[in-house]
Amino acid sequence: MSALLEQLTRRQLLWHGNSQQAAYQAVASGYAELDKQLAGGLPANGLIEIQTEQGIGELRLLLPYLQQQHQDGRLLVMISPPADPCADMLAGAGINLAQLLVISVKNNKEALWAAEQCLQSGCVAAVLLWQVLLRLAQARRLQLAAEQGNASLILLRRPQAALSLPVNLSLTLAAHPYGVLLNVNKRKGGWPAGPFLVDMQSRWPALSYRYDGLKQAQRKAG
Amino acid sequence: MALYLYLQFPALQLDNVSIAATSALPLAVVDEQHRIIQLDSLCAERGIKFGMTLGSAAALCHNLQLIPYQHTRQLELLDAVAQQLYQLSPDIALDPPDGLYLRLCQILRLYQGLDSYWQRIQTALSAMPYRYFYATGNTPLAAKCLARQQLNLISSDGEALLAQLQRSPLRFTDLSPDIQQQLQRLGLQQLGQVMALSQAELARRFEHGLLSYLGRLRGEFYHALDYIQPQQGFSSTLELLYDIIDTAVLTTPLKLLLQQLEQQLKRADALCHQLLLEIRFRTQKALTVIISSVQGEYRAAQWLRLCQLKLETVRLTEPASGIKLDVPRFAPQRPDSNTLFQPVQGAMSALQLTSVLQARLGRAAVSGLSLQNQHLPEQASGRPLPFSTVNNEVPALAVRPAFLFQSAIALTEQVELNSGPERFCINRWQPQLQRDYFIGRNRQGQWLWLYRTAEQRWFVQGMFS
Repeated sequence: MSALLEQLTRRQLLWHGNSQQAAYQAVASGYAELDKQLAGGLPANGLIEIQTEQGIGELRLLLPYLQQQHQDGRLLVMISPPADPCADMLAGAGINLAQLLVISVKNNKEALWAAEQCLQSGCVAAVLLWQVLLRLAQARRLQLAAEQGNASLILLRRPQAALSLPVNLSLTLAAHPYGVLLNVNKRKGGWPAGPFLVDMQSRWPALSYRYDGLKQAQRKAG
Repeated sequence: MALYLYLQFPALQLDNVSIAATSALPLAVVDEQHRIIQLDSLCAERGIKFGMTLGSAAALCHNLQLIPYQHTRQLELLDAVAQQLYQLSPDIALDPPDGLYLRLCQILRLYQGLDSYWQRIQTALSAMPYRYFYATGNTPLAAKCLARQQLNLISSDGEALLAQLQRSPLRFTDLSPDIQQQLQRLGLQQLGQVMALSQAELARRFEHGLLSYLGRLRGEFYHALDYIQPQQGFSSTLELLYDIIDTAVLTTPLKLLLQQLEQQLKRADALCHQLLLEIRFRTQKALTVIISSVQGEYRAAQWLRLCQLKLETVRLTEPASGIKLDVPRFAPQRPDSNTLFQPVQGAMSALQLTSVLQARLGRAAVSGLSLQNQHLPEQASGRPLPFSTVNNEVPALAVRPAFLFQSAIALTEQVELNSGPERFCINRWQPQLQRDYFIGRNRQGQWLWLYRTAEQRWFVQGMFS
């Protein structure tokens, strides 16, 4: 029996519950509670899927991570952002604008092609890709490209009940007055985690809910 | 003692076409009088000879492929060869339609002898698709006369060269057919016999052309040669043997041109930022495609990749009959400033990546982002070319949204305001244009950047993210 176990272990068909080796190299996300849940932080390379509505704090969650990723002089690439990115906000968050590329594309195919080129090149630290349709084989291909170029690809998509993709990390974000409510759907080498709050009050005081503030201004436009 | 080299290219136009050809069909070039003036080895095997009429040639070989002779094209090719050789030997004069004079007097010192010089020239010539004959001589005309006999003679021995020259039949000289006939009627068959005659006698019986030729042949008269000047940039044309409509197939002949470009760039220790690729058609006007590289490249493989990406976006409406590659300017090679021990991060640099993206997606699709010294949100972010110099002096403004809509959207939903107002007065004398900006949160939990105009109308300017 033990011989069989040994054989299976050698062929890497057996998974030990107590072997806690990290499946990926982690980069601190800048939010302590998130780092704790993810056992270290966000993956330094590979695919990260974030299912989120627009404008609830998804980019703010990523900014410290992106800032660390591009510190070695590599580029950050934004492919088909939902609207014109604002230089003030990014520069204020410590992103070096000289290392930022913004790519606008005409269709899904071009977006995927551009993402693959960027990931493979080795001079890009992270690619942000908005609202793209992705099949399983394409996701696998992008994952390989990301590993080759030691880059990370962050897919920002609307919540959808699709097949799970081969990603290093999949998160779902929900709006919350004090930050975002985060749910880890899938993590390579770890367990999914239930919803928990990532508090952004200290980092972004202007963008967290204030009870005493401006109640009277509530209004309905028509 | 002066020494000249003469190179004769018997089939420039033909050899240029046949490099693009893949099938083994006999090819020949015919002039306007329907005489064969250039032919390839397959034609020669079938018994076709130089100067034969078209009718006899067609009778000998039923599947003969013909190309009309174009004088300007021939001169272009000859000039291109001269420009390539210029890198090795500075004094080159054209002898249209198919010859080159190379003056060797000074340059041999650099190469330490004729043998090593000839070796370098031969290497350069073998990289080109053209057949050639050559000979050296003490004067330009002597070298030409020997080369036309296809002697392929490389020697600096003046006596031997002179002896060879004296044995030359008269038909290989530049003398007019009339003079040649007159000399033959006198029983003079070889150049040596003419040269042995006294000049006074010749001057009395023959016209001026003979004496002037002989004087230049001996080196007694000054022979002015118009030496070429190096061209800036690169220009090369390739006629396609078959019309090509698929742009993917077009890259194969293009590769040949790019390799020529690479050689020239390498020799000049330069690189180029832009290629102009002209695709020629039979009826339509030529189409010019601009392919650019932000970093600047000299390698053919890199340029080919960019060309392939660019050509994927080009749709040809008519088959292409020829391509021309033009590089107007070369840029000096910049030394790599990376340290030797820095780890190599990837196969590409950031500029190369940008070129690749621009080639496929278009120049406007790839941009950088810069801070402008403007307080108006519409003008605060610039979209310059990637990696253009960034103004670091400008401080980033306080709380701004991640995304700004190109035009503000009228607010149609219920929003809870969180902070504000921040008043923007565009012009002091236009108070009606003032805007009060607020940060608000809608029912879905999205953080919006809103403003209220002086008329109390609400708009969404951007979205925090």
